[in-house]
Amino acid sequence: MATDRATLTKDEVRELFRLYIGAADEEEKLQHRSKLVNQHIGLVEFLARRFRNRGEPLEDLVQVGTIGLLKAIDRFDLDREVEFSTYATPTIVGELKRHFRDKGWAVRVPRRLQELHLELTKVVSHLGQELGRSPTVEEIAKAAGATEEEVLEGLEIAQAYNFTSIDAPIDAGDGGSTSFAEQLGAEDEHLENLEYRASLAPEMQKLPEREQQILYLRFFKGQTQSEIADRLGISQMHVSRLLNRTLIQLREALEE
Amino acid sequence: METVSIKVPASPAYIQVVRLVAAGLASRLRFTLDEIEDLKIAVDELCAYLTGSQGREGDLRIEFTIDGDRIEITGVGHFAPGQKVRTDLTELSQMILSTVTDSASLAQPDGSPAFSLVKTRK
Repeated sequence: MATDRATLTKDEVRELFRLYIGAADEEEKLQHRSKLVNQHIGLVEFLARRFRNRGEPLEDLVQVGTIGLLKAIDRFDLDREVEFSTYATPTIVGELKRHFRDKGWAVRVPRRLQELHLELTKVVSHLGQELGRSPTVEEIAKAAGATEEEVLEGLEIAQAYNFTSIDAPIDAGDGGSTSFAEQLGAEDEHLENLEYRASLAPEMQKLPEREQQILYLRFFKGQTQSEIADRLGISQMHVSRLLNRTLIQLREALEE
Repeated sequence: METVSIKVPASPAYIQVVRLVAAGLASRLRFTLDEIEDLKIAVDELCAYLTGSQGREGDLRIEFTIDGDRIEITGVGHFAPGQKVRTDLTELSQMILSTVTDSASLAQPDGSPAFSLVKTRK
C-alpha cells in the first residue's frame, strides 16, 4: 500500500491530472497515475471502512475501492468544475457495493433470488417474533408477497451464500484484531462441551468454535434452529446454512 | 394418503432436488420452517450414504408418502454391480437423525441399499 502518501493542494491535484492526461508515454502516465492513487488512497480507506462490518477484511475492501478509484481517475474530466474527490466518491462506493452484491455468493445467484433471499431473512425473523414459533412457508410467502414456490426456492438458494468464517479476524477499530467468535457473548459451555467431544469423532474438534456450538445446541441440547438463531444473534437462515455446511464437512471427513 | 415418486441420478448434485421436493411436500402439510429444515437435513444425511461423496453409477428412487400431518420418505439405490455402500449409520448420523426425525433407518434388505424416515408435524 502507499508509503509515500502525498498531501497535495487542490491546484496541485489538478496539475497532476493535467500531467497524467497529457503524458507522452505509458511509463510517464503510470508514474502520474500512481501519484494520483497515493494522493487519494486515504479517501478509499475512509469509504472502505464504512463497509467493514459486513464480514470482509478491510484490506480486501481497500483493494476493491482502489479499483473504483482507478476507474474514476481514468474517467475524470478536467473541464468539470467539481473536485476530483467529489467526483470519485460515488464511483468508489459503487465498486464496493457491487463487490458485496456479486462476490458475497459462492455460486452465482440471479439478482432476483439474491433480493428474495434478503427479504426472506427479514420476514422470517420478524414472523418468528410475532408468532412466537417458527413460521410456515405459507405464512412467509404471504408476508413476503411471494409464492410458496419462490419461498422454498429462496430458502434453498440461501445455502449458496458464502459467509465469512466467524473465526476470521475482524477489524476491531483500534488497530487490534479480534474474531467475531471472541466477541460473541455466550454462557460458558466448556465443561459440557468436553463431555461430547470425548465421545465423538476428532473431526468435530477441528471445526470453528461457532460451528461446534451450533452442532452442540442442535443435536446435543435439542434446540431448534430458531432458538439457536436467537441465542447467537444471527438469522435462522444463517444457522441453517452453517449447519448444512458443517454436516457436509463432517460427512466428508468421516468418509475418508 | 398420497404418494410422490422421483428418480434421480445417484450423484450428490441431485440431493438438492430431493430436498426441494421434500420441502415442497412438507410445506403442503404445513410444517414450520424449523421442521422443514430438519427434514432437509435428514434427507441430506441419508441420501449422502447412498450417493457417497463422489456419486455412483445408477440412480436413486425416492418415494414420498404424505398422510395427514406425517411424511414418510423412502429411498432405494439402484446401482451398477460391484459398488460398496456403507449401510451402518455412524454414531454422529444416528444422533443427527434422532434429533431431526421421528424415526430413520438405513439397511440393505435385498441387495439394494435403502433408507426410510418418518417425520410428523408437531
